[in-house]
Parts: sequence; C-alpha cells; structure tokens
Amino acid sequence: MIVVAIVIGCLIGALIGTVMPIIPYTYSGYLAIAIIAALDSVFGAITSSLKKNFDIKIFISGFFVNAILAMLLTYLGERLNIDIHLAAVVVFVGRMFNNLGIIRRYYVEKLTNKKVFKKAEETIKIANEQNNDDK
Amino acid sequence: MDKDKIILSIAIGFVCVILIAIMFTQFKTIDEADIVGITTAREDELTTMLATWKQKQAELQEQLDSTRQRIDEYNEKISSNQAAEELLQDELEQTNMLTGQTDVEGEGIVLTLSDAERSVTYEDLLELINELRGAGAEAISINDQRIINMTEIVDANAILVNQERVVSPYIVKAIGGITYLTSAINQKNIGFVDVRRGSGINVQLEESKNVKISAYSGRRSQLEFRYAKEVEE
Repeated sequence: MIVVAIVIGCLIGALIGTVMPIIPYTYSGYLAIAIIAALDSVFGAITSSLKKNFDIKIFISGFFVNAILAMLLTYLGERLNIDIHLAAVVVFVGRMFNNLGIIRRYYVEKLTNKKVFKKAEETIKIANEQNNDDK
Repeated sequence: MDKDKIILSIAIGFVCVILIAIMFTQFKTIDEADIVGITTAREDELTTMLATWKQKQAELQEQLDSTRQRIDEYNEKISSNQAAEELLQDELEQTNMLTGQTDVEGEGIVLTLSDAERSVTYEDLLELINELRGAGAEAISINDQRIINMTEIVDANAILVNQERVVSPYIVKAIGGITYLTSAINQKNIGFVDVRRGSGINVQLEESKNVKISAYSGRRSQLEFRYAKEVEE
C-alpha cells in the first residue's frame, strides 16, 4: 500500500514538474535548498520507521517546516551577503548520510541475522532428526 | 489500523508529489539556464556586471552628449563668426571701392589730353572729371592718381592731383558704362572732346573693355578725418 502510494506520488509529481513553468534562475537556489531539506526529511522518516518510532505528524511538519526554514535562511544569507545556504546544505546532507548509514546498517544486520537464523534452524533440525533417529 | 495506513499512504504520496514536482522544476530550470548559456556566471554576478556596464554606458552617453553639444555650439559660433566676417568683408570691400583703396578694373574709357596750341589747364581736367562723374563713372584716375572724394586738382605752377605733380600728357581713365561715358563727353560741337579740340589741345578718346585703375597711392594723412565727427543719434 505504502509502496504503491510512493510510486503514484512520484509519477504525479514528475508530471506536474514537467508541466510547471520555469522559475527565474535567481530563485533556483531557494528551490535547491528546499529540495535538500525535503530529502533530508524523507530519509529521516525512513530511519524513524525502521526504528519503529515513525510519526506522520512529525514527518509532515518536518518536511514543510525544514524546507521553508532552509529557504528563509538562504534569503537571510542573501541579505547579509553570507552563504548561509552552505551551512544548511552541510547540515542536511550530513544528516542524510547519518540516516543512510543507519538504514544500511539495519538491512545489513537483518540480512546477517537471517543467515544466522537459517543456520541455527538447520542445526536444530539436524539435531532433532538425530534425536528422532536415536529414539 | 487500516484507516491509519490509508492516511499514511496518502500523506506519503502527497509528500512525494511535492518533492518530485519541485525537483523536476528545478532540473528544468537548471537545464534552461544552461541552454541560455549562463553556466559559469551566477545570476548575481551577472546582475552586478550588467549594472556596472549600464552605469559605464550611461556615463559615456552623458559624455558623448555633452561633447556633441559643445561641437554644436562651436559650429554655431563658427558659422555666426563666418557670417559676421563675410558681412564685414563685404562692407570693407565696398568701402575700399568707394574710397579707392583697391585696384579696380572694368569697362570704361581712356582719354589722353596733351598740350598743343595751348597747355591743358586744371579746369579742363576738373570739367572732364565732373562730366565723367555725371555720366556715372565709378572710378577715375589722372596719370594713375586715383580720384577720390578728397582729391583736389589745383594749379600751383604745375597741376597737382592728390598733391602730386602731373604733367602732359594727361591720361584720364574712367570705369563706367562706355555708352554713357562717351555720349556725355562726345556730343557734337558742344561735348567736352569737340570743345577742347576746338580750343587747341589734343584729345584722344579710347574705349576699352578692360580699364585698370590702381588704388589711391597718395598720402594717408589726406584720408584722416580731423574735424568731421560722426553725429551720434
């Protein structure tokens, strides 16, 4: 269900994106930082769902508030003539790598655990059969 | 549980829509920007450059305008100067002609008076000049002494013209309409030529298409006004 929603959402999004008019080059920086923030939120959501503490309200609010905050910071940086958006990018990308690491570790552990379980089960099976034979 | 899952799916789908839409828009914008050719310079840099060049252009334009204006002014001045100069030149020429300060030429007559049975008197010359002036002579000279409005013809042992002695033969040149001049002095029996010939001096009349009369060469002091002053209005 969720996977289907993601796929459909992506398709509709791509469609809208291709239809959307081009924004002025000056504002593309804001959009870029918003995208980074949103991606960070998405990875954060995946991580939290793996940790079983996923909250839809936190996800949605984080998604929008982070993006808007990042854009505002970029704007402020523009006004102050300082590249604040670089700091935002560093933070968001750093968090993204963090989350990606957690996700990777989770799946790797899961895979390893599966193998261990299988081995254990086989061992148990063999042991049981031997027990039965003994009987 | 099922309801929660539906809400979750819708929320995630919605987020995906927004994220991907924004991403595609951004991709398109960047692509378009590349096509336009702003790959190396950023918008603000270009804006700064544009502003700088615009300012420079405005300054240069201003300079150009002022220079052009100055050129116009100069041209105007030159042309007005030229006009004034031409006017002055014209006036000067006319004045010079009137006062006999220049060599002149034109159609006219040359009379040669010489002593024969009697000598030529200053009255003969005076009368001749009077006749010629009456006939519209524009320039007259006696033995290359230009007759101007200050010229005197007096008899002081010898005949003096412009305070210079002139002697026979007296060559009187006059520029003017040939017909008028000749008819004025050439009347049968009563004209200057016939009368003088009758009274015993040689008179030769010659018509010429090109009589040359030189400028007044007498003393400058004669041309100075010492007593007469222009009446100021």
